[in-house]
Amino acid sequence: MRPPLKIPQFIRHWFGCVAAVATLPSALHGGDLETDAPRKHWAFQPIDRPAIPAVSRNRQALTPVDAFVLAKLDRRGWRQAPAASRSQWIRRVSFDLNGLPPTPEEIAAFETDLEPGAHERVVDRLLDSRHYGERWAQHWLDVVRYAESEGYEYDRHVPDAWRFRDYVIDSLNRDKPFDRFIREQLAGDELAGTVPLAEDEDCLAKPQSAELLSASIFHRLGPVRRNAGNPDIALSRNEVLTERTDIIGVAFLGLTVGCARCHDHKLDPITQKDYYRLQAYLAATAEHNIALVPKADRNAWEARTKRIKEAMARIKKRLAKASGVEKAKLAAELKDLEMTMPEPLPTIPATADDFEKRTAIHVLRRGIWEKKGEPVGPRPPGALVDDDLEELPADIARPRLRLADWIADPGNPLTARVIVNRLWQHHFGAGLVATVNDFGSHGGVPSHPELLDWLATALIENGWRLKPLHRMMVLSATYRQSSRASDADKMETADPDNRLLWRFNRRRLSAEEARDAMLAVSGHLNLRQGGPSVMVPVDEGLIKLLYKPEQWRVTEDASEHDRRSIYLIAKRNLRLPFMETFDAPALQSSCARRETSTHAPQSLEMLNGPLSNDLAEAFAGRLTRETGGNAGLLVERACRLAFGRPPTREESRIAQTYLRDGSLKEFALAMFNLNAFLYVE
Amino acid sequence: MSSEQPQHVRVTRNRREFFRDACCGFGGLALASLMAGDQARADVGHPLAARQPHLPAKAKSVIFLFMAGGPSHLETFDPKPLLNQLSGQRRPAEFGDAKYQFISKDARLLGTQRKFRKYGQSGVEVSDLLPHTAQCIDDIAVLRSCHGDMVVHSAAQYELLTGRIVPGFPSMGSWILHGLGSESSSLPAYVVMPDPKGALEAGQPMYMHGFLPAVYQPTMFRPGDRPVLNLDLPKGVSLAQRRRTLDLIRSLNQANIDPADQEFAARINASDLAFKMQTEAPEILDLSHESPRTLEMYGVGREPTNDYGRRCLLARKLVENGVRFVCVVSGGGPGNMQWDAHKDIEENHLRKAAETDQPVAALLKDLKQRGLLDSTLVVWGGEFGRSPEAQGGVGRDHHNLGFSMWMAGGGVKGGTVVGATDAIGLRAVESPHHLRDVHTTILHQLGLDQNRLTYPHLGRDERLTFLEGEVIREIV
Repeated sequence: MRPPLKIPQFIRHWFGCVAAVATLPSALHGGDLETDAPRKHWAFQPIDRPAIPAVSRNRQALTPVDAFVLAKLDRRGWRQAPAASRSQWIRRVSFDLNGLPPTPEEIAAFETDLEPGAHERVVDRLLDSRHYGERWAQHWLDVVRYAESEGYEYDRHVPDAWRFRDYVIDSLNRDKPFDRFIREQLAGDELAGTVPLAEDEDCLAKPQSAELLSASIFHRLGPVRRNAGNPDIALSRNEVLTERTDIIGVAFLGLTVGCARCHDHKLDPITQKDYYRLQAYLAATAEHNIALVPKADRNAWEARTKRIKEAMARIKKRLAKASGVEKAKLAAELKDLEMTMPEPLPTIPATADDFEKRTAIHVLRRGIWEKKGEPVGPRPPGALVDDDLEELPADIARPRLRLADWIADPGNPLTARVIVNRLWQHHFGAGLVATVNDFGSHGGVPSHPELLDWLATALIENGWRLKPLHRMMVLSATYRQSSRASDADKMETADPDNRLLWRFNRRRLSAEEARDAMLAVSGHLNLRQGGPSVMVPVDEGLIKLLYKPEQWRVTEDASEHDRRSIYLIAKRNLRLPFMETFDAPALQSSCARRETSTHAPQSLEMLNGPLSNDLAEAFAGRLTRETGGNAGLLVERACRLAFGRPPTREESRIAQTYLRDGSLKEFALAMFNLNAFLYVE
Repeated sequence: MSSEQPQHVRVTRNRREFFRDACCGFGGLALASLMAGDQARADVGHPLAARQPHLPAKAKSVIFLFMAGGPSHLETFDPKPLLNQLSGQRRPAEFGDAKYQFISKDARLLGTQRKFRKYGQSGVEVSDLLPHTAQCIDDIAVLRSCHGDMVVHSAAQYELLTGRIVPGFPSMGSWILHGLGSESSSLPAYVVMPDPKGALEAGQPMYMHGFLPAVYQPTMFRPGDRPVLNLDLPKGVSLAQRRRTLDLIRSLNQANIDPADQEFAARINASDLAFKMQTEAPEILDLSHESPRTLEMYGVGREPTNDYGRRCLLARKLVENGVRFVCVVSGGGPGNMQWDAHKDIEENHLRKAAETDQPVAALLKDLKQRGLLDSTLVVWGGEFGRSPEAQGGVGRDHHNLGFSMWMAGGGVKGGTVVGATDAIGLRAVESPHHLRDVHTTILHQLGLDQNRLTYPHLGRDERLTFLEGEVIREIV
C-alpha cells in the first residue's frame, strides 16, 4: 500500500473536480507506474512561490533575480565580477535582445546618458523593437525543428511554411501571453472553428483565423518521408505521429517522451503507455493546405497551370526526338513557357482534425508499428495526473485543444519552468536546468531551484508575458557583470562551468548573428520584414547535391539576399555553408542549445568564403566614404562599428601600420575574423 | 557543481570541452603543436592530437565504397543456382514473404545471366561482373547475410550511414571523428566524394554530423581539380597578401587578450591552420604527379573508369595523409545512374561495374603495396540489395532482407565468406548480420566501443547503433 497521494492543485483546477485520493496500489488501476518515485521527481512538484532571500549585499541586488544568485554566492563567500563597461553591456544586450550590434550612435547616446534609468531606457527600446521578435523567434524555431521542406529524397517545400516564422515573430513582438502561444500552435485550427476539409469549398481564411491557422503549421514542420511505389501508409503515418508527439513533449513540457516509445525505462516518469496516450491526442490530426484566394481565382490558376503544363509536355515529346537547331529552339521555347508558370497560390499549410481518417492508437510493442498492443485514448502522462483519471474518448472533439489546455494550465508544474529556463539560458549562456529540453529523471537538476520557481511564478502572475521577464533578467546585476573576474582561480576550480554565476558567460555569436552583424556593419543589411523566404546564390556543387536541384531558385531581387538570416529559407537538404560551419542546427529535430565549435573549415569560410569577402568589400567602401580614407579616423570608425568600442592604442597602431600599404578590403575582412567582433563579452 | 550533474548534461563550455570542439576539425596534431604544447597536453582528456581508441585498434582509417542505389547480391557475390532453375516461376511459398517498393506479390523470379567462379586461394565465388575485384578476393571478407530495415532509398541510406531510418543523426564518419580525432594537419579528416552525376535520395543529411558539433562535419568534395570549397583564395588576393592578413588578425587578437585565454588562442590557431591547409592541401589533392602506371592501374584517363578511378586514387592519397574516413560514392542522379536497376539489371550493372570494378581493385592493390591496407578498412556496399523477383521483365526491385557487402584490410580476415541467404537469395538465413553489426564491426576495427562512443542528445546518450550491434566475429 502506498501512502495517499497529494493531488496537485492543478488537476482539480483543470478537471474541475476533487478526485478521490488514491490509496490502492497503482497496479490495480492500470499498472502505469511501478512505484510512485516518478511522482516525487522535483520537476513534477507544484510550483510554490519562494520568498526572495535576504542577502548580505542587498544593495547589489538590482532585481529579485540577483537576490537568489547572490544568496548562493554568499554561502560560499564568493563575489560577483565587477560590472562590465557600458559599451560592453550595450553590445551584449543589443545582440541578446535584437540579434544585431548597437550602432556607434546608440552606444554614444547610452554612454552619455547619466540620468537614472539609462539601462532601462535601452532595454525598453530593444524590447519594443521589431528586431526583438526576429531574434527570439530563431530560438523558438530551433526548439520546434522549424524547416520549410520535408527532407528525405523529395525534400518537398511545404507551401508558404514561412507563415509560421512570421507568426512566431509577430507573437513575440506583441508579447502574446505564452499560454495562448502554446494553445495556438497546438490547436490553432481547432480554435479557429470549423474549416471545411473538402478542398472545393471556399475556406478563405479571415484575418483572425489566418493567424490561428498559421500557428497550426507547428504540426507540419517535421521531416516527412514520402515515397513512390507501394507506400506503407501505416508506417509513414506512424513516423509522422511519432515525430509530432516527440516534439510536443520536448518543446512544451521539457520531457523527452520519445524515450518511452519502445518500452518502459526504469525510473523514467513517462511510461510506454503514457507515450501512446499522448500520441492519441494527435490521432485525427491531418495536413490541410488552405488556399488564401477565393475559389474563382483558384480555378483560374489551376486552369492556367494545366494549360502550360500540357504545352510543356508536348514540347518535351518533340524535344526527345529533335536534334541540332530544332533542339535548341525547342529547349528555348520550353524555358520561356516555364517562365510563364504562375507563382504558387498563397497558402497556409495548416492542420485539421479528420476524424474519418483517424488513426487508432495502440501501445506498440518495441515501438514497431505492426506490433499493436492495447488500444489507448488521450490522457496526460500518469505521473502528472491522478491515477483515477480516465482516458478521454478516442474520438473526442477538439482533442489537441484538450492537450493544449492541460499543458498551458498554470498548475502544470513543467510548462512555466521550462520556458523561463529557456529564457535564462539564452540570456546567461546556460539554463538553471542545464538540460533545457529535458526536465525528466535523466535531465539535470536546477542550480538555483528557488529562482527557477520564482521566475515561473512571476511569468504566470504577469499573465504569461515574456517581456517583463526578459527585462528583469537583463537589468539584473548578474547580467551586468563582466565576463572576466579577477582572482577567479578558486571559483574556476570549484565551479568551472560558472553555474553559480560569479561572472558573465562570454559567448560566440551564433551563425545568424555573425551574418547579420557583417551585413549591418558593412551597411548592407536589408531590414525588410516578413514574407516568403529568400534563397541566396550558393555554390553550384551544393545545389547538385540536391536530388531535385531545380528546387533551389535563387530569389531574383538581389537586395533580398541581404536580409536578416531568419528570412533565409530553412531547407533540410541544403543548408548554407556559412550557417553550417557556425553550428546552425541540422533542422531535423529539436535543437535546444547551439554548439559553438571552432575549427579550420570555419576559418576557411570566413577568410575565403563569398559572404565575408563580399561584405568586407562593402565594409571597406563604407569606411572610405565615412572617413575620407584618413587612416586614424578609419581605424577608429571600423572598431566602433565592428567591436562597439574605440580601438585601444595598440590596436590602432597595428592597424594603421598595416594600412600604410595593406589592402583596405583585407583589413575589413580581418575585422570580421577578430574575436572582438565574433564574441560578445 | 559539475558533480551534481548526470554524465550527459552539458552546461556552459568549459575549457576542456572547448578544446575538444575546437581541435578535431582539420588538423588536431598541428593545433597541438601550435599551441603551448605541454600545457595543452597536460589538460586531462584533451583531444588535441589524435585520440586513443577505447580498445586496441587494427585500423586507423576507413574508405567506404558506397555503391548507392543498391547493387544486386545475385549478380555479384551470392550465387544462387536454384534461382536460375526457378526463373520465370512464382516464388515458392516456403521462402516466405517479402515487401518490395514497387513489384507486386505475383511477380516472377528472375535468374541471373552472370557466371560465378571460384577465385584465389580461398576459392570464394565471385561473378564475372567484377573480374578485377575477384583478383583481390583473398583480401576480402564477403558478408552474404546483410539485412536492413527499410526498402526505400532515403530511409535505407540513412540507416546505412547513420544507423537510423530518419535523418538528423550523425554519420559514421562524424562518429569516428568524434571518437578518434584527426591525424592530418593539412586535410579535412572526414571526406565525402559524391558522384558528380548527381545527388542521392537521402541527400546531404546522411553524411552530416547531426547533433554533434560542426567540427565533425564532412567535407564534401566537389568535382574537378579544386574539390574543397573555400580552399582557394578569393579572386585578386595573393598568397603573400593573405599571409599579411592573417598576421594582422593574429596581432590584433593578441593586442587585447589575456595570453592565458585558451579559447581565443584556439580561434587564432584555427585561422593559421586554415592557411596551412590552403597551402598544403592542393598539392596532396593534385594527381598530376602520380606515375603513369598508377594512373593506368586505376583506369584514370580512360572511360568508363576515369571518374571513379580518380576518386579512388584520391581516397588512397587521403588516407595516406592521415584522413580518417573517406566515402567514395558510385551512383548519383536518377535511379538508373545509380545501382538502382529497376528496368534492366544487366544493362545497369554491367555499366556500373565497368565504371567501378577496376578502380576498386586498384585501390585494394595500391593500399596493399604501400603497406596501408593493414591500417585501412575498406568497406563496399549499398543501402540494400535487389529482389530475386523480376520487375517489369528484366529489372530488379529494392531488397533489404538479405544482401551482400564486403570488407577488406583493417585487420579483417580476407578470403572469408560470412553467412548465407536462402536458396533463392531472398532472406539472410545463416548468421544474419543487420547493418548495425557492420557499424559495430567498423568501430571495433578502429578500436571504438559502440557503447562508449556517445553524445548527449534530447535526454539520451546517443550512439551510432540504435539497437546494440554485434561484432562480426568470423572476420576479425
